[in-house]
Amino acid sequence: MERIPSGHPNLDRVLDGGLPAHNITMILGLPGTGKTILAQQYAFANATADRPSVYLSTVSEPFDKILRYGQSLSFFDASAIGRSVFYEDLGADLHVGGLDLVLKRVEGSIKDRRPGVLVIDSFKALRAYADTDGQFRHFLHDLAGRVTASPMTSFWIGEYDQSEIGHAPEFAVADAVISLTSPRVAQRETRALQVLKLRGSSFLPGEHAYRLTPEGIRVFPRLADPADPSAYPISSDRDSSGIAALDEMLGEGYWAGASTLLAGPSGSGKTLMGLHFLFNGARMGQPGLLATLQENPTQLARIVGGFGWSLDDDRVHLMYRPPVDLYLDEWVSDLLETSQRVGARRILIDSLGDLQWASPDETRFREYAYSLLNRCSRTGVSVMMTYEIPQLFGVTQLSDVGGSHLSDNVVLLQFVREGSRIRRALAVMKTRASEHQPEIREFLISSDGIVLGDEIALDQRVGEGVPHASRPSRR
Amino acid sequence: MLGVQPTTIRTWEERYALIVPERSPGGQRLFSRQQVEHLRFVKDRLDAGMQPADAHRLLADMMEGAPPSASGSGRPQLLILLAERDPYAAELEEYFLQTEGYSVELTFDAAETLSRAEGLSPGVVIVDLLISGGEGMELCRSIKRRTDAPLLAVSAVEARDEAMAAGAEAFLQKPLDPLQLISTVRDLLGSSAFLRTPAVDTT
Repeated sequence: MERIPSGHPNLDRVLDGGLPAHNITMILGLPGTGKTILAQQYAFANATADRPSVYLSTVSEPFDKILRYGQSLSFFDASAIGRSVFYEDLGADLHVGGLDLVLKRVEGSIKDRRPGVLVIDSFKALRAYADTDGQFRHFLHDLAGRVTASPMTSFWIGEYDQSEIGHAPEFAVADAVISLTSPRVAQRETRALQVLKLRGSSFLPGEHAYRLTPEGIRVFPRLADPADPSAYPISSDRDSSGIAALDEMLGEGYWAGASTLLAGPSGSGKTLMGLHFLFNGARMGQPGLLATLQENPTQLARIVGGFGWSLDDDRVHLMYRPPVDLYLDEWVSDLLETSQRVGARRILIDSLGDLQWASPDETRFREYAYSLLNRCSRTGVSVMMTYEIPQLFGVTQLSDVGGSHLSDNVVLLQFVREGSRIRRALAVMKTRASEHQPEIREFLISSDGIVLGDEIALDQRVGEGVPHASRPSRR
Repeated sequence: MLGVQPTTIRTWEERYALIVPERSPGGQRLFSRQQVEHLRFVKDRLDAGMQPADAHRLLADMMEGAPPSASGSGRPQLLILLAERDPYAAELEEYFLQTEGYSVELTFDAAETLSRAEGLSPGVVIVDLLISGGEGMELCRSIKRRTDAPLLAVSAVEARDEAMAAGAEAFLQKPLDPLQLISTVRDLLGSSAFLRTPAVDTT
């Protein structure tokens, strides 16, 4: 099947390789969602001197405005105008001759220009020029017949909302329907692209985040991999945690390619434990990727430097994205692309909670986390994720902790009270396909990082299950 | 010679059999002054954007004493019989064929197409395989049995092998690219005019 590119690989991926050529695609969305930008993107990406693109504007958006704002987009090639991209204004004809004249103009364009792409913007505005539904349907039939007889791809753009899809006849005529929306999440306005219909081709379902950029629409395909039962090679190597005593508890470290959740309250040492893992991997020649949504690079440099490591280490790559205006799929797209580019064997995500909070709901977060961990596992990349839990003392359950059931390993960090002192303790709660020592160990944070101490016993009798450190006892 | 590759000249010689030089005892081609002028005539037409088949057809006109024209109108093989199912496609195809100078007879019915193919002796018949509810394949067979007109089958459905088996010389999937349509018709007309008839003796 012949397909046409959008000029943006991610959008083509959503469309299973690109829009099927020679069909009629409707792009719908309220004002400001980027319909005109997307249509122009297709127009410029597919224009050739032999098969030019023709952009017909009707009566919604002033013709000059389309051009004026179009110039600010990087794909807008002014030298192509009049050679391979033609902008024509149908507004005056529409006022004078109505829909019949529109048909004649379209027919004239097809004969004179032999376009490969034909855009009508706004299509919805045409409806007002039909006296009856019957007349509009007749016009639609005529127009669809004409554009279908020619090897060109048509884009009909309109300020429709999704509720109109069920009854507006143009949606029945269209082969593809792409919706652009701006759903509000809390006080944030997000952007979502969704393919609602695509005849003759599969596509990635669901809402895909996008941004309007100077390069046009940038889409971030929704990470939701279907179950893949095929076998894949798994490593029999062990990855050191970077903390010798912890490796012993784990039975020589984590399996390479495994995922590990570090859960604990704020300040308990999760990030530090992750850094041990990352920098130890770098020391062993395994490139690492530190994907942080917490400390900015300046803060992080100071933290890392305090333990004798450096962000200048060329085997450790930093991907800092603040949790502000975070798009989950943009973030993961960047992560996977960076990981592939630097050949990362270990990834530290700090923290998983920031991703969970950016997720619209729990179901979406679980499929997202599953897909991410599955992709890393299949490529043998080890992932460590920090997750902040609210209880300072006495963690009684982990089932609500995001990703705990998906992770191969879970390490719990806790604060323990001993009189007026607060100690830190860790316990390995889960190691998939491996054994571990089921004990709680105190640990200290020194200038060398985390140093594991003795086993400690928790006294659960001290009010509401709050753990209490009893006298330390050596194993 | 004249800026034309020798291999190209040999191809024209074999394909169109219009400019056929004598051979020396050693096998070398010996072009007469008139043949050189004929080659120059063809090359000038090509430089002006004409296809080799059309340029040779014009040359044939000239050699026969007929007044050359851009379309070569008046020659029966330049009539195109267009049997379409879709009126919108028919309108566009007719337009592009006429723009190239061909006469077009349009039908929307298989039986009528067969009758006109016999009566009009068209240069090429274009058949939409889905005409009259899908009778195009049978129509191709009937036309091949009763006429010697080259057949171009077109269809929204990929059916090249079946169309060729039914007698079509060429197949194009719809929607038709105008340039591809024209070049295919030209090729079929070229075949019609020069390959399927005895070569003109120019010696």
